[in-house]
Amino acid sequence: MILWIVLFIAFFSITLYGIQVIALRKKLKEDYNSEFLPPISIIKPLKGLDDNLFDNLESFCKQDYPEYEVILSLQDYNDPAYRVAEKIRNRYPNLVRIIVDNSRRALNPKVKNMISAYRASKYEYFLISDSNVLVDKDYLRKTVSAMKPDTGLVTNLIMGVSGKSIGAKLENLQLNSFIILSVSFLDKFLKMPCSIGKSMLMRKRDFEEIGGFNSIRDVLAEDYIIGKLMHESGKKVVLSNYIIKNVNEYWSFRKFLNRHTRWAKIRWKIAGIKYFTEPLSNPVFLSSFIPLLDGFSRVSLLVFLFIASIKIAFDIYINRLINSSTGISTILTPFKDFMTGIIWFVPLISCKINWRDNIYTIGKNTLIVPHNGNSTVRVIFDKLKTAFTN
Amino acid sequence: MLLCDFHIHTKYSDGSVELKRVIDIFGQAGFDVIAITDHVVNGDSMIGKLAYKFRLTVTEDNFNYYMENIRYEAERAWNKYEMLVIPGVEISKNYISSDKSAHMLILDIKEFIPACESYETIFLEAKKQDAIVVACHPHNIKGELRNTLYLWNNREKYEKYIDAWEIANRDDVFSVVSLRKYPYIANSDFHKPVHLYSWKTLLNCEKTVSSVKSCIRNNRGVAITLFRG
Repeated sequence: MILWIVLFIAFFSITLYGIQVIALRKKLKEDYNSEFLPPISIIKPLKGLDDNLFDNLESFCKQDYPEYEVILSLQDYNDPAYRVAEKIRNRYPNLVRIIVDNSRRALNPKVKNMISAYRASKYEYFLISDSNVLVDKDYLRKTVSAMKPDTGLVTNLIMGVSGKSIGAKLENLQLNSFIILSVSFLDKFLKMPCSIGKSMLMRKRDFEEIGGFNSIRDVLAEDYIIGKLMHESGKKVVLSNYIIKNVNEYWSFRKFLNRHTRWAKIRWKIAGIKYFTEPLSNPVFLSSFIPLLDGFSRVSLLVFLFIASIKIAFDIYINRLINSSTGISTILTPFKDFMTGIIWFVPLISCKINWRDNIYTIGKNTLIVPHNGNSTVRVIFDKLKTAFTN
Repeated sequence: MLLCDFHIHTKYSDGSVELKRVIDIFGQAGFDVIAITDHVVNGDSMIGKLAYKFRLTVTEDNFNYYMENIRYEAERAWNKYEMLVIPGVEISKNYISSDKSAHMLILDIKEFIPACESYETIFLEAKKQDAIVVACHPHNIKGELRNTLYLWNNREKYEKYIDAWEIANRDDVFSVVSLRKYPYIANSDFHKPVHLYSWKTLLNCEKTVSSVKSCIRNNRGVAITLFRG
């Protein structure tokens, strides 16, 4: 009986995956026509050396756009990214400014990095963009074209590119399947606001109405909170179908696990009970239970291979849709899906996260508090010890 | 201060990354000066013969091609990243015994120098070419089965030929170099991308080959830093 239920769920899951692919196709067909080209301040928070950092930053300086500025913000002159930022500023002195400030209070290191840059920015429209993002010349023009008077936030679809190590290849496969499909599905069919922190265009007026940096300084998923608050304030959150490139070249396998464990914890804290529907978008992981429950019989293995093959075929198709080439690394898809299936369980037993060398405990709505390093048992033991010794 | 790494291998010897990609890795990371230093291995020992068999060495036959490609990439690196690329080799005298083995960087090399020549001949040829000679990983490296101790063990004899000693190589630090007050630099001994994050040299000089060489030789305005991403 259980076997039949799992079999049904696995086939339901692959069907759902197909529906998500349709959502992506529909998303990519959207068209925004606008000649509205307001001046833009691009804020790029930097910390450490991302893969391809020089080219990533330079791609923002080569925009085919009439008036904009680029502000590179760091917390530390000793940050290795500072040298790269300096080279970019020297090359584009009229366009680029560097702000170094570590004095602002925020637990979210990315937010802490941006506060001073935001204050120094000149224009009413501003765009927050991560340092591991590479864009083409038409990025700004096309992203701004999705900004209408009733829009509060424009974000972009992302895809992973340039994977050279195993960790980076897995990362890109995940971005170019689960992530891009999930946001397209939520946006297109469920009409839920989706905001992706890698690129967020807003007006200062709208941003300050929802509380500005005060509302996001101590949360982990600042992008989600901005989208949520914008939506609640009656402004539209638009997911532009202009795909930006997230360059991941030399990731270690550990880094891949770390990021997706962190993201899973974020989704668990945001979605709550709905998090339990997420495995439905992982047909390979679900179908791996079929051979387990059926004693690795030939039929059960064939069913597993059949579902895995369809999933791989879907992923190849998605990559063709988004003009990406994952090449031979697509054969890693079943392994990647199995790993992310395992990762799905982690948030249920741990709410500790490690991000940019900081360890936090994550709470509701991704509110973070610095992790004190003590286990519950240790805390109880220490309290009892204090009670008896004082 | 110029952020520098003078000890980098590519697929021309035993590195895992092609020259063009190596240039981009260092350029994207904001480096100011690097030297490409693929191995030139001695062919008169069993280990050396293996290096030739598996093409893990620059040879007299492909030296000009190697230099031509470095020059081409150096121009690209300067135009794109304003990064100075200096051609070099790592003369590698490999023997089973650590006490007999030695590696030395020849920076700003112009003509091929065979590794099977005597030490004096190699040093004098390097001087003739106005190249910089650096003694690489001159002391014991933790966890390394085969070290390169010959130059250190014979330092009194050879110190006059050596412009600088590696005081740090990748994650190792050789305090003996500091204790002897020898001129120093620190390098990654880059073979794969993860080696980018390692000890580096900072030079307080102009970004030209002659200034960099002069700064290393005089060993003023030299500092080392542990570069972390």
